[in-house]
Amino acid sequence: MKISLNWIGDFVDINDKSATEISDLLSIHTAEVEGIEYIGDNISGVVVAEVLSCERHPDADKLSVTTLNYGADETVQVVCGASNVRAGLKVALAPVGCVLPGDFEIKTAKLRGQLSQGMICSDSEIELSDDSDGIKELPADAPVGVRLIDYLKLSDTVLELDNKSLTHRPDLWGHYGFARELAAILKRPLKAYPSEFSWPDNSSEYSLELDGQQFSHCYQLAELSIGKGPQSSPGWMQKRLLAVGQRIVSDVVDVSNYVMLELGQPTHAFDKSKVSGKQLSVRPANEKECFVALDESSCELVASDFVIADSAKAIALAGVIGGANSEVCSETTSILLESASFDATAVRRSALQHNLRSEASSRFEKSLDPGYTALASQRVCQLLCEMRDDIVVDCAPVFAGNSAVPSDSLLLNAAQARTLLGIDISTDEIIDNLTSLGFKVEASGDELSVAAPSYRATKDIQSAVDIVEEVGRIAGYDKIVPQPLSAPIEVPQQLPYRKLASKLLMRLVNNHQAHETQSYSFIADDWAELVGLTCYDFIQIANPVNDAVSLLRQNPALSLLSQVAVNQREFADGRLCEFTKGYKNNPNGGEAIESRLLAMLVWGSSDLPKSGQQSLVGQLRAVADDLCSLLNINSQYHVNPEGLLENYGFAHPKQSVEISFARQSLGMISRIHPTIVSALGVDSSDAAILLLDVDALVDAEAKTKFKFSAPPSFPAVKVDVALALPVAVDYAAAHKAVSAAAGNLLDSIELFDVYSGPGLEEGQHSMAFTIQLRSSDRTLSDSEEQKFIKKVSKAAEQLGGNLRS
Amino acid sequence: MRERLEALCGEGLAAIAAAESSTQLAEIESSFLGRTGALTAQLKGLGKLEAAERPAIGKLANEIKQKLQQAFDAAGETLQQQELAADLASVGVDCSLPGPTVELGSVHPVMAIARELEDIFQSMGFVIWDGPELESEVNNFDALNIPGDHPARESHDTIWMKSADGEERRCLRTHTSPVQVRALREFGAPLRVIAPGRVFRQEAQDSTHEHTFHQMEGLVVGKNIGVPHMLHVMNSMLEGVFKRKLETRLRPGFFPFVEPGFELDARCPFCKDGCKVCKGSTWIELMPGGLVHPNVLTAAGVDPNEYSGFAFGLGLSRMAMLRYGIHDIRYMCSGDLRFLKQFQA
Ligand SMILES: [Zn+2]
Repeated sequence: MKISLNWIGDFVDINDKSATEISDLLSIHTAEVEGIEYIGDNISGVVVAEVLSCERHPDADKLSVTTLNYGADETVQVVCGASNVRAGLKVALAPVGCVLPGDFEIKTAKLRGQLSQGMICSDSEIELSDDSDGIKELPADAPVGVRLIDYLKLSDTVLELDNKSLTHRPDLWGHYGFARELAAILKRPLKAYPSEFSWPDNSSEYSLELDGQQFSHCYQLAELSIGKGPQSSPGWMQKRLLAVGQRIVSDVVDVSNYVMLELGQPTHAFDKSKVSGKQLSVRPANEKECFVALDESSCELVASDFVIADSAKAIALAGVIGGANSEVCSETTSILLESASFDATAVRRSALQHNLRSEASSRFEKSLDPGYTALASQRVCQLLCEMRDDIVVDCAPVFAGNSAVPSDSLLLNAAQARTLLGIDISTDEIIDNLTSLGFKVEASGDELSVAAPSYRATKDIQSAVDIVEEVGRIAGYDKIVPQPLSAPIEVPQQLPYRKLASKLLMRLVNNHQAHETQSYSFIADDWAELVGLTCYDFIQIANPVNDAVSLLRQNPALSLLSQVAVNQREFADGRLCEFTKGYKNNPNGGEAIESRLLAMLVWGSSDLPKSGQQSLVGQLRAVADDLCSLLNINSQYHVNPEGLLENYGFAHPKQSVEISFARQSLGMISRIHPTIVSALGVDSSDAAILLLDVDALVDAEAKTKFKFSAPPSFPAVKVDVALALPVAVDYAAAHKAVSAAAGNLLDSIELFDVYSGPGLEEGQHSMAFTIQLRSSDRTLSDSEEQKFIKKVSKAAEQLGGNLRS
Repeated sequence: MRERLEALCGEGLAAIAAAESSTQLAEIESSFLGRTGALTAQLKGLGKLEAAERPAIGKLANEIKQKLQQAFDAAGETLQQQELAADLASVGVDCSLPGPTVELGSVHPVMAIARELEDIFQSMGFVIWDGPELESEVNNFDALNIPGDHPARESHDTIWMKSADGEERRCLRTHTSPVQVRALREFGAPLRVIAPGRVFRQEAQDSTHEHTFHQMEGLVVGKNIGVPHMLHVMNSMLEGVFKRKLETRLRPGFFPFVEPGFELDARCPFCKDGCKVCKGSTWIELMPGGLVHPNVLTAAGVDPNEYSGFAFGLGLSRMAMLRYGIHDIRYMCSGDLRFLKQFQA
């Protein structure tokens, strides 16, 4: 909302304050000022001047050479092309150095050989109107040398307020409300709102019928005859309306807008001749009732809308916009003036429903004081009658409903207010601050009984803490001195999964080249089918941001995969990780299940081997091993376990591994199904994912204990063995066999090579291990080493292969 | 035997003369004088000689051994000197060459700030708590004193789940504030807690708007807790984010779950007299907060006559944008490595 400081000046004296001072005061005490606009600034160099002489240009028929007095020591010569320039005329002169709108700087020039030291302006050149026909003629008594903006009182300062910071304040949707705030902040008197008006005694022929549903609290109808019909409004009013961005229409409409911008209360004028019958009613719209608004948009009403209706038709969508069928036009000679109070929520819904938010509806939806209806009605009549002799109010207004706002006194303890605010403010000052805002206060020591004024009691002020705020913000929050909390007594309880997840995530980042990312919780509806599910298997969004993306993901696999598509052009391989959530409905009802998951996705060339340490699954297996050993969890791996695909539809049918501990699943590793990889736009890359259930890890970690073991006293024997085995015998089986051969002498075992090719029989592969044997009570002998090798050889034979070395 | 010894002596001296490096020399020394060296083998063989021959040959053998040893030592000394000189001359050494590339991971800027703040708050005795992202309408709105007809509940602001008839409406939480009530129900008063997490709005994306972003809620409830405590905690937190003290101010702000409500502004850290970030005002709006509304305390089972408190909400995504100068919020959930890689752990 924009407010004009000239306008504010009608009600409170702020002449001695600069615009920035006022802006800062309002920002700190009331509501955020987002910008300051200086009206007239763009023509501030233009001055009133008198044409002393005016001669035809010796070399140009249409030009005149003039001399002007503009209050300087010397006169200036200006060449002018306007036909209305003449000696003795008072004009608006832009002297040399003056900058006009459009960054047009006036410079000394020669026009057809004649010196020209300035420009005599037309209305359009100084943006006063569109009139570019001749120069502007000023009255004969215009004082020479005075700035035009001062003479015409064009100068004003407009503050732009953040509307969002006003939504809870029904009293701040007009200038008067801000004047009241400034009067309270500056401790200056506030002039009463000028709404005195003597209504005629004769009564109206009209009657009003309000619905019984509390939609309209009250309604006042006035009747005016407007002799010569709508005219243009006076200049002073137009200036103010234009300054705050209001369009100029005609005086009848302009006055209505003026009062709305001044008090905050919208009013509306109907053309009386277009209204049928002598009764107006406020009623719910009929379903599918057709309505054409003032702006010529038409809409189909719904039963929750309310309309103002005459005996035949709806003439306005209540609180939102008037109807075209009763619009005031140039032929209008009599009007019905509505000033009413409508239900805030219903008006907001109605405006939203038909996409017709208006200045009026945005005010009604703030719960305006119903008491404003009479004030606004009087103010409009007062202004119209003052402005024009041919406008008369025909009769006393008709009023229906109740404009009283119930307001209970609230109890406030001054000492408690001081404690909460941390501002040292006396009880008397508290009372003064509240009184200046219109509150009624009765005090008994520190116990205050406070009644809110009607313009604050509709919604804004409901309890004692609301009054604490009023006390604090008028006193000034800058008086608050920060104070530390006193020391805590206990070590705060923490969420175990957060700590653990952070620890693991930092491990992924620092040791495994993973880049932490954030991915969206929503997935595309199409993706359900990709993982073998339907939309109904997911929690569905009723109003998704994007219609085709309406499912809550069960896990982040595909969300992360979609980020590979973003990266693949620049990064042939990469690793992303995220600690995030998956969502599922709880089959037993109640709150949805939000699983806390640590995910790491790797991608790389599709040429990588599909198994072994270089493979994507192998890389993730190493990561999983590292994370589990960080937590001392001795995890188990099950290759391609049954049922995995049911939970993880993205998994590769033959390249997945379940991770578990003590028969509890901790998560999984899988290559992502190649069909899905390409469906998500990832070309020429493979991807695999590690998903860990962080809550399961917390449980598993709690079950394990780290135990110190003394450094060994006897040396280890290092043995390398290579086994040629049938391809069907996998690493897990070979590892098991070699470990068994070492028995209790096994200190460590590590795979160092997997090979197939020349030197091996068809259908065989070779796996080479480095084993450390160690005993806690002796140095191992050569024969013990030989015995182990023999055992390995025998085990290899049992597996259908042999020991190669 | 004698001939063999003399031949070895000659071979040894020749090899020493030919040695090009001390490493090579050491190998040669070992091949003559080592445990399995040629001369050592001869010395071991002395025992098999006739007793009469033994003294003379033995003497000769020891003389040759000493002679060779001296030659090795002398040559070793010379070679080492030469090698040291060559090392110090460093011909062909380019120390400007880079070392091997160390591949590093990176942290997400929003999460990095969240984790830093968690540490700060933990040190101030705050519990770090959490709540579900799918919230009931009651927890997300009603318990926070947000009226039933409040525009925030409408579908152009809040992402709602499909629900069956009669089922309680669920939404993706629009703020971390429901954790205020959850934590109070869990722990009661007094309490100090923060709740970082993901929040959602029904919002079209542009450079400053995202439907998915991160907030951190803070709540302190105790006896005689007031605005000065809130201001102190807010200031400490900002110092944590920006690594220096910022001048701050409180302005009135309106949020249904606090009263009085505030906006905390900080002096723009990027300029002295107005810039694009602060829109020329030199102040940046950083976080809303206020004293917890008595209705919220009541909804959480805490007696507002006995306890008071304050709450604040920090926009983590916004803080990250301010701290790192990120101009487009859409990078945050893009997964773009060119963006992510810049934030080192
Ligand atoms: Zn700045």
